[in-house]
Amino acid sequence: MAQEKILLIDDEEVNVRVLSMSLRADGYEVVTAYSGEEGLEVFDRESPDIVLTDIKMPGMDGLEVLRRIKQRRPEAEVIIITGHGDIESAIEALQYGASDFINKPIRDEALAISLKRAREKLDIRRQLKAYTEDLENMVRIATEEVHRKSNFQAKLIRSSNDGIVATDDEWKIVIFNPGAEKIFGYKKHEVVRKFDIHDLLPSDVVRIFEDGNGEQKESGWMETTVTAKGGEEIPVRFSGAVLKEKGKMMGSVAFFQDLREIKRLQRELIHSERLAAVGQTVAGMAHCIKNILHGFKGGSYLVDIGLDKNDMDKLKTGWKMVQRNIERTSELVLDLLSYSKEREPEFQICSPNEIAADVCDLLRETATENKVELDTELDPSIGMVSMDGKSVHRALMNLVSNGIDACIMDEDLTKRHRVTVTTAREGDDVVRFQVTDNGCGMTDEVKSKLFTSFFSTKGAKGTGLGLLVTRKLIEEHKGTIEVDSEPGQGTTFTIRLPVGKTEEAQNG
Amino acid sequence: MGKKVLIVDDDPDVRLFNVTVVEENGYTPIEAANGEEGLEKVKKEKPDLVLLDVLMPKQSGIRLYRELKTSKALKDIPVVILSGIAKRTFLRSQKALTEFGGEEVPEPEVYLEKPVEPEELAQTIKGILG
Repeated sequence: MAQEKILLIDDEEVNVRVLSMSLRADGYEVVTAYSGEEGLEVFDRESPDIVLTDIKMPGMDGLEVLRRIKQRRPEAEVIIITGHGDIESAIEALQYGASDFINKPIRDEALAISLKRAREKLDIRRQLKAYTEDLENMVRIATEEVHRKSNFQAKLIRSSNDGIVATDDEWKIVIFNPGAEKIFGYKKHEVVRKFDIHDLLPSDVVRIFEDGNGEQKESGWMETTVTAKGGEEIPVRFSGAVLKEKGKMMGSVAFFQDLREIKRLQRELIHSERLAAVGQTVAGMAHCIKNILHGFKGGSYLVDIGLDKNDMDKLKTGWKMVQRNIERTSELVLDLLSYSKEREPEFQICSPNEIAADVCDLLRETATENKVELDTELDPSIGMVSMDGKSVHRALMNLVSNGIDACIMDEDLTKRHRVTVTTAREGDDVVRFQVTDNGCGMTDEVKSKLFTSFFSTKGAKGTGLGLLVTRKLIEEHKGTIEVDSEPGQGTTFTIRLPVGKTEEAQNG
Repeated sequence: MGKKVLIVDDDPDVRLFNVTVVEENGYTPIEAANGEEGLEKVKKEKPDLVLLDVLMPKQSGIRLYRELKTSKALKDIPVVILSGIAKRTFLRSQKALTEFGGEEVPEPEVYLEKPVEPEELAQTIKGILG
């Protein structure tokens, strides 16, 4: 414990001597004065923690000393020494803020208790002071931290590439960062506290906010367009949230990403992909045509020999070769035409099952020649639908003849090779076609090249355009085509086509 | 019996054409429809010349050519490439395979691009086999 300093004031020297001796013996540091005036001087000089003053003194009395000390330092502990039975003065002293009073003659125990109390009060006050200082310090640190964080956030918002727009709880715009300036074309000062969210954002975005008012949830990213200051429609990605605290709306925030650059790059990419595709197409076509020409040369060579030597066999073989290559030429030209032409599907009322059956009838002969069974599993509930029958016919022809080829190319001769065409209805407006074979199947490498032009595993036989054409037909019909294949097990192609309902189609 | 010429091509029309040219010039044709079959026949028949296509299902001509030219027993058999692929493309793919960690292989004796005149094909074969 720190050694407390006590100022002892009494006009009776004996009292001062006796008391100070006993206080020093108790471990206090004692300073003394023999009058009120001197007491104040000593108080100012020595800054004691506790003052023990007699109440009745010539000149300045104890009550006055008390008053002045409390003026100088309210936290000083002052104990008043009163004469026996002088209760009124004692009460007055307490009213002036004395810590305690003790009666004369001073008994050691009473003094000890009184000093102990004063010390305890001093201790508490010191602790309180330390605690307060600590608290103040903490508040200061916290304030700095908050300041730093809000600075950081302000910088973050300012330097974000995204446009950030935030509103208060009445949808008035309060934050509008440089990213937002770039997108919307307005300056911050034109917007902040002047614009409502409705003035800036399209109605579909505002609706998301207002709908989201019930719960604090991010809207997720969506693409939309906003109208900039100059009236330009800007494509953006947008995400927003209504901010809440304890269930009450605090405001809202919206993030915008400018998609102009991305859209431009996308357009360029599509353009360059198209150029690359043209280059590939020309190279692939050249190879295909070279092979066909070689076939023609071979054919005419054989015909020549047949004519020269009067060899009818050679003549016939040569002529067949020429015919085959005429056929290949026309196939290539047809494929190229349907691949290169943009066309809209021609919707008509037709029966998917009939188309599937017709395709199988047309290819059955080829299948049987090659010992491949060709089956159909047709869903009778499909009935008549509105779709582009010609496209579907062409696509199925391609897939089924692919299936037969996959069986022919399969090395496993123990298998009973089979191609199955399945139709099924999926919900009200989708028809599914599946062509399944148990032929040679495809490796992942082949699968990855499946829909690229002029890629063919059939060597000279394929133009490498069949699946490309198939996919194009299906996509023009807003349908999807998927492939599932295992090497050695077989392949399934699945086409899903959206079809109009018959009633609608008939009415329309 | 004339010298043996192995014809490797997946297109039956091309094989028929080449077989006829080979026969007409007094050699004995052997046929293979892809690279894999080609390698088998080379080992079995020990032909005097290989007439090789490049783009074929199963093993391509690019691979078969490498296997022939890196095999001690087979590398002296002359190879004539007859393909719809340009010579430049073929050489580039060989170069890529060499850089990929393969042995360096010599250029083929003769490289013919389809379509080829029967006369030119016949002269080429005669030029090598005599």
